[in-house]
Amino acid sequence: MADAPPIRTRGLAKRYGRVPALEDLSLDVEAGEVFGFLGPNGAGKTTTIRLLLGLIRPSGGEATLLGRPARSVAAHADVGFLPGDMAFWPRLSGAETLDFLAAATGRPPSQRPFLLQRLGLGDAELARPVRTYSDGMKQKLGLVQALQCAPRLALLDEPTKGLDPLVQQAFYGIVADLKARGATVFLSSHVLSEVERVCDRVAMLRAGRLVSLGDVESLRRAERRRVTAEFGADVDPASLAHFGELVAALPRRIEMLVAQEQVTALVARLGMLPLADLVIERPSLEDAFLEHYR
Amino acid sequence: MIAVLFRHHVRLHRVPLLPLAAGLALFEWIMTFVAREPAVSGFLTSALRAAPPQFLALLNQELVATVSPQGIIGVGYTHPFTLVMMAVWAVRVPSAALAGEIGRGTMDLVAARPVARYQQVAAALLALLAGLAILAAAAWLGTFGGLAGRPLEGVTAWHYLPVVAALWMLFASAGAVAILVSALAREAGTAIAWTSGLMAASYVLDYAARVWSRLAPIRPLSLFRYYEPQRLLSSGLAGEDVLVFAAVAVVALAAAFVVFARRDL
Repeated sequence: MADAPPIRTRGLAKRYGRVPALEDLSLDVEAGEVFGFLGPNGAGKTTTIRLLLGLIRPSGGEATLLGRPARSVAAHADVGFLPGDMAFWPRLSGAETLDFLAAATGRPPSQRPFLLQRLGLGDAELARPVRTYSDGMKQKLGLVQALQCAPRLALLDEPTKGLDPLVQQAFYGIVADLKARGATVFLSSHVLSEVERVCDRVAMLRAGRLVSLGDVESLRRAERRRVTAEFGADVDPASLAHFGELVAALPRRIEMLVAQEQVTALVARLGMLPLADLVIERPSLEDAFLEHYR
Repeated sequence: MIAVLFRHHVRLHRVPLLPLAAGLALFEWIMTFVAREPAVSGFLTSALRAAPPQFLALLNQELVATVSPQGIIGVGYTHPFTLVMMAVWAVRVPSAALAGEIGRGTMDLVAARPVARYQQVAAALLALLAGLAILAAAAWLGTFGGLAGRPLEGVTAWHYLPVVAALWMLFASAGAVAILVSALAREAGTAIAWTSGLMAASYVLDYAARVWSRLAPIRPLSLFRYYEPQRLLSSGLAGEDVLVFAAVAVVALAAAFVVFARRDL
């Protein structure tokens, strides 16, 4: 059990009636890594997290959390969870909420002072009923409750939703601290720049299916380069079509998507033409994301 | 862990508990004043003698018992005010504890922690029973305070302990059904509607079966059939009634434990 990855799924599936929400998901998240889980709305990200926590029952396959079956609550003492739709008890104060959730975790909230300070939640705010909080403050409180007991595994569903850019920076620092002390972070997000910035590996879901899994750099590498070439005289774009996909073709300007291994050959070919300008763009994770979901 | 969850429920529901308890105590205290006024007693005697049997059935009383001072105080324990006050707690707490948490989205915060599903059901049950005990005790204290202030010959508050115990058992049993409904529902509103409807139907069935003999055979289906304060005052708690309350509660709770452990949250 000690050697088991913090998260392991094998053929994990969930159907709501006839509608598949998640199909055949198999992945391992290794200890100490920050793992990004990307996908558009309805791709199955939240369903996956809820399956991992045993909040819903799988229609097929299995999942383990810290080496224990997902439905076993024994592992939950070491797990911090931030739901995607943050909801609290409106009449309780922030402090009462944190105290209750720490007591329910069964561990002292050793990280609370540090998190409150990093996220800018003071005693005055914590003394107020949660119903008076803005969405951003609720999200901050959500992050504190998830991480206050120093979990070994953090499952964070859309963690920066509603946070202003300054607090987002603070959150990235918190993730770095979690990683530095060996915790595993599983982070679902729509914010590609955020995933690109903080994650070691990324999985992409589409319509409940895993479409891509790898480290951020290799995902980028696997994606095609965008090549834009301008010419001093008319050329025949069709003569370049076999290098990749022509996105735009004019007599004196072409735009292509080219696999990395084809770039060298294309540049050599372009050198034989009356080339006036050449731009080769490294794909961002967003390009990779969009290519998968277009 | 159950203690942590129990304290959480108490924190969420303590505010409405106070006015409910105060209302019950005040109402039963007033009933002792109604009982000791000969003019009121005489008026009630005349009024009840002239009243149609349907009205007496609503009070669920024997006429002779009702017009005695002890009986008039007993009316306080079957009065719709008392029943509604108890029902508010028996519906509110179970509905909020499970379905309410799911509907609001806070169940995920609790269930993602090392909290077993059975512990959630058990904590809801404890909060239900403790609150009902406080309300029943408040009602009795109202009677006790009224009789202590101006004693009524031959009537003591201790006579009403079996009534209070039966009142607690009636709503503990109904509350157990409410926990089952809540374990099945996804919203507090749905659970409240179903539970209130079931309680109201049970009350109406008991009343209708008393005034319409054709329905008498199905009267045992109503929980209110087993709660008769005037009989309790004369002969104490009946083992059969206690057994019915316990059986309904045990079956409903067993089903709630199973259903809630297996459902998607």
